Amino acid sequence: MKQDPSESLSFEEAMTRLEKIVEELETGTQSLEVALARFEEGVALGKVCRTLLEKADLRVRTLMETPDGELTEGGPSDER
Amino acid sequence: MPAAGPPIFSVAEINAIVRELIEGEFSDIAITGETSNVRVHSSGHVYFRLKDAGAQLAAVCFRSDARMIDFDLEDGIQVVARGRLTVYEAQGSYQLVVRTIEPAGRGDLERQYRLLVAKLQAEGLFDEARKRPLPRYPRRVAVVTSPTGAAIRDILSTLERRFPCVDVIFVPVRVQGDLAPGEIVRALDTLSSRGNIDAIIVGRGGGSIEDLWAFNDEEVARAIHRCAVPVVSAVGHESDVTIADLVADRRAATPTMAAEIVVPDRRDVQRHVDALARSLATRIRDGLQSRRRRVAECLGSYALGQVAGRVERAMQTVDFAITRLLRAETSRAHTARARIDATLARLDGLDPRQVLRRGYTVCTDAESGCVVRAAADAVASRDVHLTFSDGSVAAEVSGTVQRREASR
Repeated sequence: MKQDPSESLSFEEAMTRLEKIVEELETGTQSLEVALARFEEGVALGKVCRTLLEKADLRVRTLMETPDGELTEGGPSDER
Repeated sequence: MPAAGPPIFSVAEINAIVRELIEGEFSDIAITGETSNVRVHSSGHVYFRLKDAGAQLAAVCFRSDARMIDFDLEDGIQVVARGRLTVYEAQGSYQLVVRTIEPAGRGDLERQYRLLVAKLQAEGLFDEARKRPLPRYPRRVAVVTSPTGAAIRDILSTLERRFPCVDVIFVPVRVQGDLAPGEIVRALDTLSSRGNIDAIIVGRGGGSIEDLWAFNDEEVARAIHRCAVPVVSAVGHESDVTIADLVADRRAATPTMAAEIVVPDRRDVQRHVDALARSLATRIRDGLQSRRRRVAECLGSYALGQVAGRVERAMQTVDFAITRLLRAETSRAHTARARIDATLARLDGLDPRQVLRRGYTVCTDAESGCVVRAAADAVASRDVHLTFSDGSVAAEVSGTVQRREASR
């Protein structure tokens, strides 16, 4: 299940995957090809995590009340 | 003469007596009434009047006690003031010196609070065991608070500063007044049923007990309890623990602290990512190294070593044989040469010229040509030949015999 560490990953997904890869490499049971592939993926994931941390913007959405009393999502709020 | 009648007091006397009576009788009383004419003197003392439909009473709360007032003391509030009555003799007036003051009904609230705590505790709503851990890296954080207070600003700026990789879902609600509990409950239930939310912060900034009362509401407590998502309470008042605080999975003293609990600090996370990246590099290097080592070990394994050893031993045998052969050969050659040398040396020793070379001389009788072997034969005036290694000379014996002592 090779994953392409693209920008669509959330921070948590990237982080979880990265930690899992390091854990796997620690056991050192996989073949050299797999280990090298994991290594490359891990390096890419590390970059994704760093980028997300540096570039991310807090996105705030507000749940508003509709006339029939339901709470629904409003547009992104730019109150800040 | 004055007529018999009631005793006559001076003003000072009667005021002193009244003072003694009043202060003795009312040294610790509680009075309920509505506040009016509240004035905070520059000294810090608070002066006001307590009144009800048809009566008024002057009251003062001195600075040290006034500091402890935990609600907004303003005109028109129904309060319960506790203290003592004192008489100001110079004016003939009396007043209430207030030690503590609280809004009327607070006693009821406190009783209500204690009863509800006991009830919910008995039901297990506060059990530590059922408190859920917060995710380490939340993706979506919901915030249930007032849209106008400082709380939402503090929470958003803290999330932004610490960990901007989160999406925030803000649910504006009233956080005080009769409508507040219902709105908070509905917000929590809605968020709970939405799914894909990792944590909820519910709370408000600081205020009096009355202001915070929505967070002591039973329905709010139950909504927190049944919420599918971990809830962090943030009711901004460190000294008062609300029931929401007791039920919540985590309690924060302020909205800012709630945001700090919910998300990690990006600098810490950055360090963690860096450490993981380093670990990754170390692991792959170690992995390669251990494989290299294994290859080396395989090459030097016992099985392979067995074969190699046999070859090696065979080669050694051959080497050894060759060495021995060579040695035998050389030693034989050596022996032969040594014998020849020795023989030649012996032969050399037998050559009389060798003796002469060492400094000996052969003396022969010039007439007979015989070798003169003894001193006695070398008679005086005899002609002799002395033969050296390189030639001979004629000589004449001139001395007499000097016999050498026999040495034994």
